[in-house]
Amino acid sequence: MRISSFILVIDSYLLRKGLLAVLNRIPGVRVLKEFGAEDPFGSYLNNHVVDYMIMGQLEFDRSADLFVSKPELLEKTVLVCGAGDKEAGTARAQRDVHRIIHLQDNKESIIRKIQDLLDTGDQKEREDLHMQLSPRETTIVRLVSMGLTNRQIADKLFLSAHTVMTHRKNISGKLGIKSVSGLTIYAIVNNIITIEEVSSLPPK
Amino acid sequence: MITRDRPMYRVVLENIQLLPLLPRFNLKPGFGELSVDEVCRNHGVNTDFFLEIANAFLDEMYIPGEGLSLFPLETMVDYITSTHSYYTEIALPMVEEKLHRLMERSRLTEKEILLLTTFFNDYKKDFIIHLSQEEEQILPYVLELEKQSARDTPDPEFIQKLQNYSISEFEKEHDRLEISLRHLSELIIKYLPPFDDLHLCHEVLNDLEVLMKDLIDHADLEDKILIPRVAELEKKLRNSASLE
Repeated sequence: MRISSFILVIDSYLLRKGLLAVLNRIPGVRVLKEFGAEDPFGSYLNNHVVDYMIMGQLEFDRSADLFVSKPELLEKTVLVCGAGDKEAGTARAQRDVHRIIHLQDNKESIIRKIQDLLDTGDQKEREDLHMQLSPRETTIVRLVSMGLTNRQIADKLFLSAHTVMTHRKNISGKLGIKSVSGLTIYAIVNNIITIEEVSSLPPK
Repeated sequence: MITRDRPMYRVVLENIQLLPLLPRFNLKPGFGELSVDEVCRNHGVNTDFFLEIANAFLDEMYIPGEGLSLFPLETMVDYITSTHSYYTEIALPMVEEKLHRLMERSRLTEKEILLLTTFFNDYKKDFIIHLSQEEEQILPYVLELEKQSARDTPDPEFIQKLQNYSISEFEKEHDRLEISLRHLSELIIKYLPPFDDLHLCHEVLNDLEVLMKDLIDHADLEDKILIPRVAELEKKLRNSASLE
């Protein structure tokens, strides 16, 4: 599972520590740093990978300049809102930020909201990876692990040797693995082949 | 975060994972009361460079961006070269030796042993080819590029070469060396029968984990710091050449 990083920007000591206690029990969450009253956090963002910031409304309003210069931060922001907060600034904060934890939320709903965040992150990462082999490529990895030469694979799959070579190249490119033995271990740990099925000859 | 004024012994004591980093800067424990800055200066190490590398090493979320762009590329190339020697002369042979010992004391079948041995030999071979390509082609090119761009009139031959070559070519072929190590760990933990020498088995898995993390950090340094800076220099040099 991917680890998502959080910072907390909340003036209130009690609220901050309380939220921290809940967050620390959720797998996949890593709270990098807490920022209390007036602690500047803008420069921290410049040299740390922060996936999400959880902020109070006052703190959000105070940082309006930061969000104007870096609007992409809005996507990373989770707002903590109280029930009675209805001032103008607050309304703006709630319009700009869609992820909101309410003060009256119970433990389960806070955890669910955070887990939703983590799930979206995980999905994005999977889409980024492009590491998935096509079914054809998977078949070829399996045959390579069984000790077949490119020629033998070509014959078996009714492909030209050239096509098999191209597949092999693409596979190595996707996985970052060149050697037959490396592909074999990859195939075993991805359940493409069992150790029993693997060629007993030392792969070339 | 580590800072320059803290005593070096405290920094290392509190962050024992830094140990493999020290030899790359020619630093050895036995620091006495000296601060990070004093230790670095005594050994001719650029303190700011050390701090950036050490902080990035300790905290995966730390981006060593701004600080690292201030150092001569030569400093970075030296560091990369000594990291390579650490991999090939210490880290890999150590894992290999333990892995062989582990296999000797196991009940693995001949086939499983052959599989592991061939795998590790091939991995080592590819690893060394990868590093020596970098050392023979990329790093000298980086040094030459830095030298040429410091000149008032760069060597026209080099400018010519720049028209056909760019560091981004290298980026495309940059293999991720840590992936196969992850597979090896998974093979041991999940697929192979249990090893009798549990202690040694744990040591191997730990060593693999440390090496993997180190390789990821190293690739990050190359991909996120070195390559963008080199690309920037290339652009500057090409532009100045086309202006004339």
